[in-house]
Amino acid sequence: MKLLTTTNRYYLALATVLFVLGTGVLYVGMQKILADEVDEQLELHQSYVSKRIQETRALPPITDPTELTLSRKPHRTGLGDTVLFDPVERSSVPFRELTFPVTVQGQPYWITLRKSLIETEDVLEVVLTVMLVVMGLLFSSLVLLNRWLSRWLWAPFQQTLGVLRGYQLQQPQSLALPPTPIDEFSELNQAVTQLTQRVAADYRALKEFTENAAHETQTPLAIMQAKLEQLMQLPELPETAAESVHDLYRAALRLSRLHQALTLLSKIENRQFTDAAPLRLDELVADKLAQLQDFLEAKEIEPQLLLTAPLAVVMHPSLADSLVSNLLQNAIKHNLQKGGLQVTVTANTLDVVNTGPPLSGDPMQLLGRFRKHNAASDSPGLGLSIVQQICTHYGFRLRYTFAAPESLHTLHVEFR
Amino acid sequence: MKVLIVEDEVPLRTTLLEFLRHGGYVCETAESYQQAHEKIKLYQYDCVLIDLTLPDGNGLNLVRTLKADKSEAGVLIISARDALDDKVQGLELGADDYLPKPFHLAELNARLRAILRRRQFQGQRHLAFRDLTVFPEQALVLVHDQPVTLTRKEYDLLLFFLANPNRVLTKEAIAEHIWGDAADMADSFDFIYTHLKNLRKKLQELGADNYIRTIYGLGYKLETE
Repeated sequence: MKLLTTTNRYYLALATVLFVLGTGVLYVGMQKILADEVDEQLELHQSYVSKRIQETRALPPITDPTELTLSRKPHRTGLGDTVLFDPVERSSVPFRELTFPVTVQGQPYWITLRKSLIETEDVLEVVLTVMLVVMGLLFSSLVLLNRWLSRWLWAPFQQTLGVLRGYQLQQPQSLALPPTPIDEFSELNQAVTQLTQRVAADYRALKEFTENAAHETQTPLAIMQAKLEQLMQLPELPETAAESVHDLYRAALRLSRLHQALTLLSKIENRQFTDAAPLRLDELVADKLAQLQDFLEAKEIEPQLLLTAPLAVVMHPSLADSLVSNLLQNAIKHNLQKGGLQVTVTANTLDVVNTGPPLSGDPMQLLGRFRKHNAASDSPGLGLSIVQQICTHYGFRLRYTFAAPESLHTLHVEFR
Repeated sequence: MKVLIVEDEVPLRTTLLEFLRHGGYVCETAESYQQAHEKIKLYQYDCVLIDLTLPDGNGLNLVRTLKADKSEAGVLIISARDALDDKVQGLELGADDYLPKPFHLAELNARLRAILRRRQFQGQRHLAFRDLTVFPEQALVLVHDQPVTLTRKEYDLLLFFLANPNRVLTKEAIAEHIWGDAADMADSFDFIYTHLKNLRKKLQELGADNYIRTIYGLGYKLETE
């Protein structure tokens, strides 16, 4: 719900409660004041009538039977309410009446004075109408004012929001927020700018660290590899030593590959691959499969490639390459001699199904780092973690399933 | 062939120097950005090997200087920074090739040869080795002036050997040269042997000697004698 709607709702509720209360209090108050006024008038009239009777010693003339009645029967004296039919208004009208006894020529009489309350009702009606109109005007003008305010006053907020939406950590320039005279928004802008600056600094530090770590590790590895290669060239190198040198050389290579894979993983995690380009993954799969021909032949695997539709994605080219290579290499590397490999590409899925050693436990576990089925295997077990990291990066869904009867391993990628 | 090696790490620099001198290049070295800058301003080189991360500057600026001076020298970047940006930037600035560290010396040699071949042999672009003549531009191989039909991989293999005569080439280096990153998934390198066997057979059928010798436990070697 919008902020404005919410506040308006509360305003409306409060205004309604206040209006009802106010109207009630006003109504009761007005009624009481008006009733008092009528009572006062009746009492004034009583004293006037009493005076006349004393002076004239005669009953007052009855000009309007609704306003003044005489009775010889005893009545309850004092103030009271009554309803009479008013022939002018043609309806029952409430009256206030005052009854008092008088004695004229030794005869007791009861005089009742009445005064219509209809005018006081009219007054109340007017009051209520005025209240209603005022409240209505007040509320609708409040809503309109709020609308206007939200458009103009909240504009800096919307701008900040827009800038934040478009903000990318990898961009070197920092956040540019326009100045605003509203304290809250300038504080917000300041806080947001500071936050992004801190985050950007952290990001740069992390990126630098990754690069430096890569450099500092790759350089000694490069030295080791070059020196060992030179050693192997020596004609006088005894065969026993040659074997050790070769083992060392292979270990250095393995370490370097492991390091490259870890660096790649942390780079994906740090979101350092931002340039995406439209690609055809189906073509990439076909190309990669052709490149891996020698590895397939070495294992006597006849791959089946099913391209049902072009698979277009928007990805960083080297990540797309890494995704496809790792999936295919995994399927070949952990395959059986003369095993099967089936790759199916549809408009938004990629399935790699291969035969392999039987698996116990949850195959999704194998997507973790350094998880491998065969602990003694040479591979560091990072290929599928890289695949998973790439999928997470782009919001693709990756599923690894294993079907026991045919010992089939399936890696299924869903591209949105 | 005059080559300048710009590398700040002493052991790597000496190894490269030794390796390239042994390969018949005239080499000079620079251990800092400043020194390298001076040398490329003063002298002419056929190729410059540039490490990007130098203690007092970025190697990319050396590439810029070379290009600004319209230098004839080929440029091969060697870097441990394998950030894609550096690679793209380096190549866009006009570097001829980019080799991430760590690399195989044989691979460096092959790339260096390729650069020099592209830059230097204007007109007579062929390689001659004993009974072999190779025209890299046309991917044509002649044995005693008779053309041999090689597969892409056999041809790449042959060129890799020709770039590194008299050196033991490890199976790992060969695999990486031909199959790139996929090489690390191989459990064995039997298929190198298969390609090599076919290559030897095709060359020998036309009367070439068997120059490629198997070095037990290590790899293979192309022998000049």
